[in-house]
Amino acid sequence: MRRREFLKLSAAGGAALVVGFRIDAEPSSFQPNGWVRIEPGGKIVLTVGKQEMGQGVRTSLPMILADELDADWQSIELLQAEPSPQFQRLGTGGSGSVYGSWKPLRTAGAAARTMLIGAAAAKWNVDAASLRTEKGFVINTKTNERLSYGALASDAAKQPVPAEPKLKAMSELRIVGQRVKKVDAPDVVSGKAIYGIDARMPGMLYASIERPPTVGGTLVKFDATKAMKVRGVRSVVAIKAGVAVVAENSWAAMKGREALAITWEPGPNRAFNSDAHIKALEAAASEPGVTIRKEGEGAAALARAAKTIEARYHYPFYAHAPVEPMNCVASFRDGTCELRVPTQAPNRAQQLVAEFLGIKPENVIVHPTLIGGGFGRRLWIDYAIEAAELSRAIANPVQVLWTRQDDMRHGHFQAASVHQLRAAFDENNAPLFWGHKKVSSYHNLRGAPTAQERADVEYNQDSAWGVYDVPYAFPSIEATYLSIDVPVPIGPWRAVFSPSSTFARECFVDEVAQHLGKDPLQSRLDMLGEPYDITAGSLKIDRTRLRRVLEVVREKSKWGSPLAQGRGRGVACNVYDGDTHIAYVVEVTAHENSVRVDRVVAAVDCGVVINPTGIEQQIEGGIIWGLSSALKGHITFRDGHAEQSTYRDFEVLRMNETPAIEIHIVPSHGEQPFGMGEPPVPPIVPAVVNAIFAATGKRIRALPIRL
Amino acid sequence: MRYSITINGSAKSVDVAPDMPLLWILRDVLGMTGTKFGCGVGVCGACTVLQNGEAVRSCQIAASDANGKRFTTIEGLSRDASHPCQRAWIAEDVAQCGYCQAGMIMTACALLRDKPNPSDADIDAVMSDLVCRCGTYPRIRKAIHLAAKLGAQK
Repeated sequence: MRRREFLKLSAAGGAALVVGFRIDAEPSSFQPNGWVRIEPGGKIVLTVGKQEMGQGVRTSLPMILADELDADWQSIELLQAEPSPQFQRLGTGGSGSVYGSWKPLRTAGAAARTMLIGAAAAKWNVDAASLRTEKGFVINTKTNERLSYGALASDAAKQPVPAEPKLKAMSELRIVGQRVKKVDAPDVVSGKAIYGIDARMPGMLYASIERPPTVGGTLVKFDATKAMKVRGVRSVVAIKAGVAVVAENSWAAMKGREALAITWEPGPNRAFNSDAHIKALEAAASEPGVTIRKEGEGAAALARAAKTIEARYHYPFYAHAPVEPMNCVASFRDGTCELRVPTQAPNRAQQLVAEFLGIKPENVIVHPTLIGGGFGRRLWIDYAIEAAELSRAIANPVQVLWTRQDDMRHGHFQAASVHQLRAAFDENNAPLFWGHKKVSSYHNLRGAPTAQERADVEYNQDSAWGVYDVPYAFPSIEATYLSIDVPVPIGPWRAVFSPSSTFARECFVDEVAQHLGKDPLQSRLDMLGEPYDITAGSLKIDRTRLRRVLEVVREKSKWGSPLAQGRGRGVACNVYDGDTHIAYVVEVTAHENSVRVDRVVAAVDCGVVINPTGIEQQIEGGIIWGLSSALKGHITFRDGHAEQSTYRDFEVLRMNETPAIEIHIVPSHGEQPFGMGEPPVPPIVPAVVNAIFAATGKRIRALPIRL
Repeated sequence: MRYSITINGSAKSVDVAPDMPLLWILRDVLGMTGTKFGCGVGVCGACTVLQNGEAVRSCQIAASDANGKRFTTIEGLSRDASHPCQRAWIAEDVAQCGYCQAGMIMTACALLRDKPNPSDADIDAVMSDLVCRCGTYPRIRKAIHLAAKLGAQK
């Protein structure tokens, strides 16, 4: 999952100073995919390919640039990059935007600043060393003369691009680390922010699609007579996804859809149900899998165990359920297709729509919009393909809008899984062996695997994320993964594929502590022994950082202080993708059949802090997302389809169930910021489960929690 | 059928099916996209607007019922994001993706009309009928308290 970065700068001439840089690329072929453009009028435009879906990139990325450039924060405008030969790797996911953009943005900012200083030095005929920059001006320190960046832009464009511009020392950064408000907030609170669903094109019609009631079902025939009589319905068209009703407005399209008479062939998955699938996962848990990581003797160490502890955990299917349903506006005309689409993957949209339509990618123009919640769902392109196909079929611009029920039933779900955990200790209670086997269907975006891929460690590793990166020190470790195919679409979720494994691991660590008669928090610290920097599979773990966040939550939560009857505290921690280190202490009140999460104390080490407010928002949001999965709805399948259809049967946490959240950002070492969108999710669920044990003595081993 | 509906003080005449919900009249007929579609069945609150100061779900109000009535949408709160709720929402940095926030703000406006100085329990009782998937609830609660103060100063 590791992101690469490569940096080289280039400049483009003209009246504006334009510096190009590259984010996320192979070193072999440099082509800028990010641009800083300083216009003669003083406006600074940053073009990058990161989509805003609530994680705050439209605020945090300009902050990084403004700081290194010494620009006035207010003067920077973020322009959304669109797929083109230049922008071939746009995409937002894996909590990688700030991580991957940090160095390129700073270097580009430093290069532009150096060129602006060079232009001013030439103009004033002075040594560049006698000049400084501040808030969009180059200032002569001797004479106090000032020239604005805008005034210098065209001269600066003629300056050589510095090969390795000098970055500011961390202590010189002025904007990074400040609380900055979201740039889009005024538009959001005024109803002016344009999400995908709000996109319009001249002459656009509105469509709603009736899809097969079973996964993999196919259309036999349909009768549109009644649908065509619904006021506002213009046409009814069969497309690959189902039967589309095209109308003058969304309501007419939905009403027309209800009036359709359709015969479906249910297809091979008509009997699929999740209970049977989970039984299959269960059965496979005792079969051998692909070994992802083996340390020491692996499971052979069990032969010397004085004490072996074992437990099995169950994780269900979940939907993403962003409040903005899937949608896309498409206009196919003269062999060209234009899309306005809320997508996390603009290039995939371009490529897959082009493939589907049988046209060249450059003939698919993708305008990414603001996204009303992504969470991994919008890495998929299904809804864009539908709109493109339909627009071609009706020769008219059209918006395809999914209903909430479509969204729940035709999602790309987080996979169900079964986890078998084993830990062994010698007669002195010293750790011997840690084993974690995960059985699920493959999580990926790539379609059915080949036989070779099924046996390939690297291929299996993605799905086993959270299994192999156990941070605890055991001399022998064996992490294995086994896949059981499932007919429903599976895909990344918030925290990609790791939440299930972190849930199982951190619950099991608690059980181990109990068996050893130890305090669960101290037991974790004890197991985070030397060496302090390890590589777990492909991921690095910094045990010093992990220890520190655990120590902070121990202190701030007053861990160990007495709680009333029926209340309990639980702890969990995690290193996300080798980067962001988080520990939680959760307090719950449990009685009879109900559990209430009262308080969450969080400690996070995410490296350099760009915007503390943004970090706190992501932690609050990640906790609430995780609590929904712990306490509220999940997805079940019966007769080949998801049974849930709205927030009534796939419930999510509401305000009255939201705990008090207390966040401690732990000062970090190093000069690299790490991701924050996903890391808060995985450890919150096990912290709740462990708190319930402390409150009730009851071990929960299946989600969602039902006491 | 032709219906007359007053939106943000301006009388609109629309020719739509009697059962078309106000949500779609606003979005697809009048081009006012600030009011959002989230579930269409009244469980998420994203489409909330005000009717005579009370919070109502525009996906549940048919054109025939909206006829002759007055509604306020997010676009009608102020010209310049100066309404106490809008200012409070910005000050408390509530929004993440922001999609559900129009419904949240409109609901908060109605709450503050009834209870100018609401307690946490008052806020929870009303706002728990709405869904935010980004998890902005703690900030919404703070913003409502702040809006109460800003409103009182007015």
